[in-house]
Amino acid sequence: MKLCFSGSNAIVLGGSSDLGLELAILLIQEKIFPLLTFRNKAGEEKIHENLKSYEGLYQVAYCDFGKKETIETLFDKINHPLDFMIDIAHGDFERLVCSADNSDVDAYFSENISARAEIIKRTGRKMLCNQKGRMIFISSSAVENPNPGQGFYAASKLASEALYRNAGLEFKDRGITTITLRPGYIDAGRGKRYLQSRQRLSSAGIEKIKILTTKEMAETILFFLSDSAAGFTASAITIGEHLKKIEQGGSI
Amino acid sequence: MNIFERVKQIVADILDIEEEEILSQTYLIRDLGAESIDLLELAVSLNAGFQIEIKDDDIFLRKLRRYLEEAKEKHLDQQAYLADQYPFLSASRIAEILRVLEGGPVLAIEDLVSYISYYQNK
Repeated sequence: MKLCFSGSNAIVLGGSSDLGLELAILLIQEKIFPLLTFRNKAGEEKIHENLKSYEGLYQVAYCDFGKKETIETLFDKINHPLDFMIDIAHGDFERLVCSADNSDVDAYFSENISARAEIIKRTGRKMLCNQKGRMIFISSSAVENPNPGQGFYAASKLASEALYRNAGLEFKDRGITTITLRPGYIDAGRGKRYLQSRQRLSSAGIEKIKILTTKEMAETILFFLSDSAAGFTASAITIGEHLKKIEQGGSI
Repeated sequence: MNIFERVKQIVADILDIEEEEILSQTYLIRDLGAESIDLLELAVSLNAGFQIEIKDDDIFLRKLRRYLEEAKEKHLDQQAYLADQYPFLSASRIAEILRVLEGGPVLAIEDLVSYISYYQNK
């Protein structure tokens, strides 16, 4: 199936992540120009290193959700129509609910919910200028089946999902759509670290479930950006399985 | 094209109505039936059209009734309090707003024009 896309400019929040980079290559191959965000020097270098054969076909920008002024600067940099936004960025914070430091909780929610609300606002207003656009939020199946310690992560993901869902509802007659994808474990980022830390358990069950590769996940995102998936809006789709299900079976 | 003419054009385009239906004193919500999403689109279009930052809460007088409550609680003159909050509105317009408040949302086309004119020159 050949995918068609209504637009040629994208912003990838969390562009230096393995998934962001895999997606960037697919976007470039589809003649979509991605602006990839990074939040430190290492991230910027990682993007350039991975995309060195695509020089001139992408752009990078600094954006740290913990520094609100960088969000403003990021959007000031976008002087062209914005057709797609893919939000992969999300902070790590694993604590038991009753053991977390209050100020850490405040900061985490501020970075991962309040800052995201501003990102959605700015993106929505940008897309409204052209009466079209597609936002994809990469959530996690942990929102349905969190493990102990994932309460704040799941809460911030769910809150973010709600913001995206409502933006989709509010813009439904304005050509702007939103969708949330909830992948299970991916062999990248947090999922990869989690799986590596539990390698010894692999024979006990993890191998029995489908672990998504970054390529598979990037291709899934690409599909949901395409015109073929235009009918999906203001909704959340779970992809793959979550480890919790195995844990509940008593194997871990 | 002056500010009013341009605003009229933008509003007519968004609400899909004839420009002739829009006068300076026309109420955006009460008369034209503008909804929240229309106002959001209007803010974006005014921002793009006039190259000024649009603060939705201010230009659409969203906190008007809250400000009136605050003035009452603080035993302040309501007209003076509103003038502080909305420096782009003239004293006569604020007085008029207070007069017609009971009739529903008071946002008028002339308020948008005043906002743009004020912040363009600031």
